Amino acid sequence: MNRRSFLSLSTASAAALIATAGMGLVGLFRFLLPRVFYEPARRFKAGYPADFPPGQPVFLPLEKVYLFHDPAKGFSAASAVCTHLGCTVQWSERDRQFECPCHGSVFAADGAVLRGPAPRPLRWLEVTLSKDGQLQIDKNRSVSETYHLLVPA
Amino acid sequence: MLKSILRSIFRGDPPSTRKGRSELVFYNFWLHIHPAKVRKEHLRLRHTGYLGFVSFFLLLILGVTGLALMFYYHPYPARAYQDMKDLQFVVFLGPFLRNMHRWAGQLLVVAVFLHLCRVFYAGAYKEPRQFNWVVGVLLLFLVLTLSFTGYLLPWDQKAFWAITVGTNIVASAPLVGPVVKVLLLGGHTLGTQALLRFYVLHVAVLPGLAAALVMVHLWRIRKDGGLAPSPFQPEESSPPARERPIPSSPEKTYGLMGIVTGKPAFEVLVPEEEEAVFSYPYAFLREGIAFLATSAAVMALALLYNAPLSEVADPSKTPNPAKAPWYFLGIQELVSHSPALSGILLPSLLVLALLLLPYYDGNPSRRPKDRLLALSLFALVVLAYLVLLLIGLYFRGAGWSWVWPWAKGTGGTA
Repeated sequence: MNRRSFLSLSTASAAALIATAGMGLVGLFRFLLPRVFYEPARRFKAGYPADFPPGQPVFLPLEKVYLFHDPAKGFSAASAVCTHLGCTVQWSERDRQFECPCHGSVFAADGAVLRGPAPRPLRWLEVTLSKDGQLQIDKNRSVSETYHLLVPA
Repeated sequence: MLKSILRSIFRGDPPSTRKGRSELVFYNFWLHIHPAKVRKEHLRLRHTGYLGFVSFFLLLILGVTGLALMFYYHPYPARAYQDMKDLQFVVFLGPFLRNMHRWAGQLLVVAVFLHLCRVFYAGAYKEPRQFNWVVGVLLLFLVLTLSFTGYLLPWDQKAFWAITVGTNIVASAPLVGPVVKVLLLGGHTLGTQALLRFYVLHVAVLPGLAAALVMVHLWRIRKDGGLAPSPFQPEESSPPARERPIPSSPEKTYGLMGIVTGKPAFEVLVPEEEEAVFSYPYAFLREGIAFLATSAAVMALALLYNAPLSEVADPSKTPNPAKAPWYFLGIQELVSHSPALSGILLPSLLVLALLLLPYYDGNPSRRPKDRLLALSLFALVVLAYLVLLLIGLYFRGAGWSWVWPWAKGTGGTA
């Protein structure tokens, strides 16, 4: 074996080694990223409109969503996940605002940030009527805070 | 017969002779990380505070108690909290072991931090010990990660919400944040997968890494020439030429023996007879005392104070106020003031500044009077963090609003 072929063989081996290690890393990364998430569905049925009479918002604990029912405008749904660091905000009926217990963010009834470190207003989620007449909320779809679903009684 | 068995295990001369005392260290797998002789000065409590030893012993205690707890723990949300209750009320010695594990973990954070401060103030991170400082900072980071992952395992309200906030801080990192969060949690929310992942990290991955780094850390002490001399010493300690490696030259050939015998690369010259003592028994006796004192302190804490356990985790109800473990409260306080970036950017910069410290600190002197700027800057950062931590601990109540600690019905501590 001469000098030239030794060097090219070494380079090729080193490249192969690095490529193998790189593929191993990519494989590890992909292995750790689950293909199936066993989590509450992002789109779910909350119940029949008649179950939610107008008045105080109803908190859906599993999905962390506040469901509002305005007698004039209809249904709307706000995510209860604080936009700061993901704590669950609590609705205060007295002050008509959302309060986050972790870092003191306060959101107005329309979700706008009133105080604290939260960088964005609360998310409003799309509410539709499913085929079987239930309210369906989709956490993947954000809507504006003026969005409402009016269900004729 | 018995004698020949013993002779086959302990091969050196009996420790009544000086040769025997050297061989006792040299021929023993567990002891040979020590030099046969150590400087008297380095054995003094005021030289190191024995903080490295204390940290190491705490790691041992954590390993043993952690292993014991694993026999009764299922990393599954429906069982994890029940297992905690079993450990509290059913398992023989359960509360004691759990308390020991919890308090040793918190003491370890303190010990490792004080160790870092000691090494900084002694300037012991300077040449030739730069790399061991880097290993040490990585170990500090590992200890904090171990503490963070372990905090979730009881699956109580405190655990659930501290980790929710923590992983969302991770997610706020630019670009990679959201992906890292999914990798860490094995999903988008804290659930079954997340508990399993934190468990595997806490009991296998991170302890393995920590063990490997601890070995490097200890080995490097020897290879870097033993402990750094006191920064208060007169002239002698100013960068000694003999601590530099012997320069190699292409004209010479070296066999392995050329490296092993004679002076190892960084070995400080063997100290004078009156300055040094044999490791056996002088160093071992003191290490034994340090071990007993550490164990006694942890056991006393475990007997006197119970590890906290709040209600079972409830994803729909955030406790008010939700506080992180006390040593992370400074970061939580920061995060509550400005956008989540200060939970990532500032700590990352701090870790980076610590990691690279030996390389940008060009001041060769280790004497305090030559390092006034470095010393005061370090003190300022530590003090600032302590103030933030105390604010988070005692001055924050419901909704993270300001309360006076003496006012009634405040949020309580973490």
